Amino acid sequence: MSYQVIAIAGFIYIIAMPIYVVHLITKSKKVGYLATASFLLGLLIHLIGFVQRYKEMYAINQSLLHSIPITNLYESIVFFVLCLVGGYLFIEWKYKKKALGVFVSTLAGIIISLTDLLGVTKEVQPLVPALKSNWLLAHVTLSFISYAAFAVGFITAALHIVVASESKKSFKYILSTFLLGFMLFTFISVIIDILYSSNPKTVRIFQSTLGNSSAVVSTISWIALLSFILGFWYIGDKIKNLLTTLRIDSDFLEEITYKMIAFGFPIFTIGGLVFGAIWAEQAWGRYWGWDPKETWSLITWFVYAFYLHSKFIRGWRGTKTSIIAVLGFLVTLFTYLGVNLFLSGLHSYGSM
Amino acid sequence: MSKLNRLNEKIWQFFSSVDLAVALFIVISIGAAIGTVIPQRSEPDIVIKFFSKFLPMNLSLNLYEIVSLLDLNNVYHSWWFTFLLFMFALNLVICSIDRLPNLLKSIKKPTQPYPESFLRSISTKKEFIYKSKRQEILEKMLNLLKHNKFSTTLFETSQGIQIYCSRWSKSRLAVYLTHFSILIILAGALVGTFFGLRGYINIVEGTSSNLAILDNGRPIYLPFEIACDKFEVEFYENSSVPKAYRSYIRIIEDGKNVKLNNKENFVVEVNEPFTYKNITFYQATYGFQLTEHTLFKFKFLNNEKEYLVNLEFEKKNKLPNTNVYISVIDFSPALGVDEEGRFFTMDSSMINPAALILFEEGNRKFHKWILARVPESWQTPYGQLKLTEVWGAQFTGLQFKKDPGVILIYIGSTLLCVGLFICLFFRPLRFFVFLEGNKVIFYLPTKKESVLSEIDKILNKLEGK
Ligand code: HEM
Repeated sequence: MSYQVIAIAGFIYIIAMPIYVVHLITKSKKVGYLATASFLLGLLIHLIGFVQRYKEMYAINQSLLHSIPITNLYESIVFFVLCLVGGYLFIEWKYKKKALGVFVSTLAGIIISLTDLLGVTKEVQPLVPALKSNWLLAHVTLSFISYAAFAVGFITAALHIVVASESKKSFKYILSTFLLGFMLFTFISVIIDILYSSNPKTVRIFQSTLGNSSAVVSTISWIALLSFILGFWYIGDKIKNLLTTLRIDSDFLEEITYKMIAFGFPIFTIGGLVFGAIWAEQAWGRYWGWDPKETWSLITWFVYAFYLHSKFIRGWRGTKTSIIAVLGFLVTLFTYLGVNLFLSGLHSYGSM
Repeated sequence: MSKLNRLNEKIWQFFSSVDLAVALFIVISIGAAIGTVIPQRSEPDIVIKFFSKFLPMNLSLNLYEIVSLLDLNNVYHSWWFTFLLFMFALNLVICSIDRLPNLLKSIKKPTQPYPESFLRSISTKKEFIYKSKRQEILEKMLNLLKHNKFSTTLFETSQGIQIYCSRWSKSRLAVYLTHFSILIILAGALVGTFFGLRGYINIVEGTSSNLAILDNGRPIYLPFEIACDKFEVEFYENSSVPKAYRSYIRIIEDGKNVKLNNKENFVVEVNEPFTYKNITFYQATYGFQLTEHTLFKFKFLNNEKEYLVNLEFEKKNKLPNTNVYISVIDFSPALGVDEEGRFFTMDSSMINPAALILFEEGNRKFHKWILARVPESWQTPYGQLKLTEVWGAQFTGLQFKKDPGVILIYIGSTLLCVGLFICLFFRPLRFFVFLEGNKVIFYLPTKKESVLSEIDKILNKLEGK
């Protein structure tokens, strides 16, 4: 089944992360190649899983276009990570800098495992009529491409703040180290979850750590989480030295953040907002209805418009704009997952 | 007078600032977010119930006061949200007017060289010492720059040769396209609110109607009638997952069928709306409704012969070739069987239509459920009786709308995307090259990795030979 293949790809992403770390520390070229090679291998297997899923969908729907597997939450997450990894590898190739791989592989590994947290259906399902639309197809595809760009922008923005901050007491420094520490903890927790689950299909994120039935383990996990966050906060300035030796300075991070958002914003506008509106117009007779998902897409759009304009506000240089990129991705995540988990709406992903 | 002028200027500055734009981004976002949390357009008790989920009752009641004062249960149509959008539009217009002259100036090519001190003050630079003749290197470099799509302006100064290089400088004008298109979209939304119509119409299979209900509850008569000949739900094979919802309709005007493109029968499906006289119809809902003209269609198999039997509800009919009278005495659109073997209706859609048939042969009477999708239930003592179709028992719910603003929305959206692509994918770029003695110096006003690597490539090619 395709989801098993994709799970293997997720597993390889998880393996790639420590290799990138070793490369970061030893700066060995060979380890660097190995890291990229394993990440590429993960991408390849991911692609195979994607194609296999396409075939499974085709067997049910018998339509070439409508079988592209991005029609439910699970498939969309899989597609998102595919874009994320593919996009990252492109940047790595273009700028010849590998250090970001640590964070991208962490994010990719977490998100693939997140499909278990959400308890989403991994079975292939037939399409309900409202989803049979080419506009929807373009809408979803482009949305996830832009989300992937925003995700890379989030990583570089958070690192930018860590690297460029002078004061460890500033809000933006605390927020970014908090998020990075939380990301790393989640990553490790995911690995433990997978190792300890009896059945790979029923992995639940944080089950073996924060949410453990034993009070001792769960307390230790909370302490670990706290120390990860504090640790990140503490060693933030050392990361800076490490990254600078790999020619990753704050200017580079800021530039990539900008590039990612400048790329993601128009794609999100056309795919997320305009195509979404056209689809809604055809399916429900209104191009805009203030449904929670639509509203949060608009908020996401505003946050990134804020980012683009913040450069034109006098005196806003550097990390102040990056904090908006960080917040932007948090809002994106909420639009993508939070709305379904916390707010109800018309969108079909909500019920899966 | 001068006081008034100062005030004027202050107001102008206020509305032309990006700070206001950003403040509006934030406030509008927060307002919109509130609307996704508090139940919208609902009765007071629903809102209070929502608050009382996490607050004590008396606080919830107080909170409701605030909600109704600020229209927080109808955010998107409230006076303050509309006001914010208006401010947003005003901000855009004034900001654009304010900046246009400067922008136009900045995209023009310089007519005289920049002062040397200006170049020297640029901190990001790349140097390269050449050995060939100046004329040769100049020609080569101009060719390379041209190849990379830069336009160049040459100045001979007392110190050397200054070259002003720029690329895609006009793409800054696309910001105007972007901003202007947002105004078009807002205008489209306004047109829709004031000149649009929106509502729904339910039509029972086999009937026609022009009585519709607007979203605000007011009934209206459409200028033409819609007849629904049939409504059907198609299911994926062997499952109750719907594959398509379809209404077969006709338009009747002045008692005659309307022909469009030589066709008078039309299909409305989810994602495939139908438009007539600027009113667009969408397949929205459907339902089950037994009426006096509902027709039950059967196939009766007796001695290897097949007969069609049509029955109206509670009317008797003779089974062909027998002395048996049958009639439909009950009906369910989706009959299910519970654990104790009792029948119940699972759903109001026709997932598995079933008819309860009363058989009468002389004094003998008995009844039996016949389920359209369960072949075992078709067996009767007289032969196989298969329920093939129940016609005229469903209504189709069509949503309709007339929105003259949509065209503006589409135009605005297209321009918005075009504008964004131009202004974000074709970033304007400019730098200076200075030929001084046997040195070529690149001065870059913005430090960007991608630009630097492009310059590096140009330098490599200059050196490479
Ligand atoms: C959500 C709506 C808006 C969108 C999508 C939008 C989009 C953009 C984009 C893409 C740019 C170019 C950014 C860059 O070059 O990096 C820009 C620039 C700008 N925007 Fe907006 N904008 C919006 C609303 C506004 C509003 C309300 C104002 C009101 C003041 C405004 C003022 C400006 C200004 C002053 C610039 C700089 C133009 C220049 O290069 O001189 N924008 N906008």
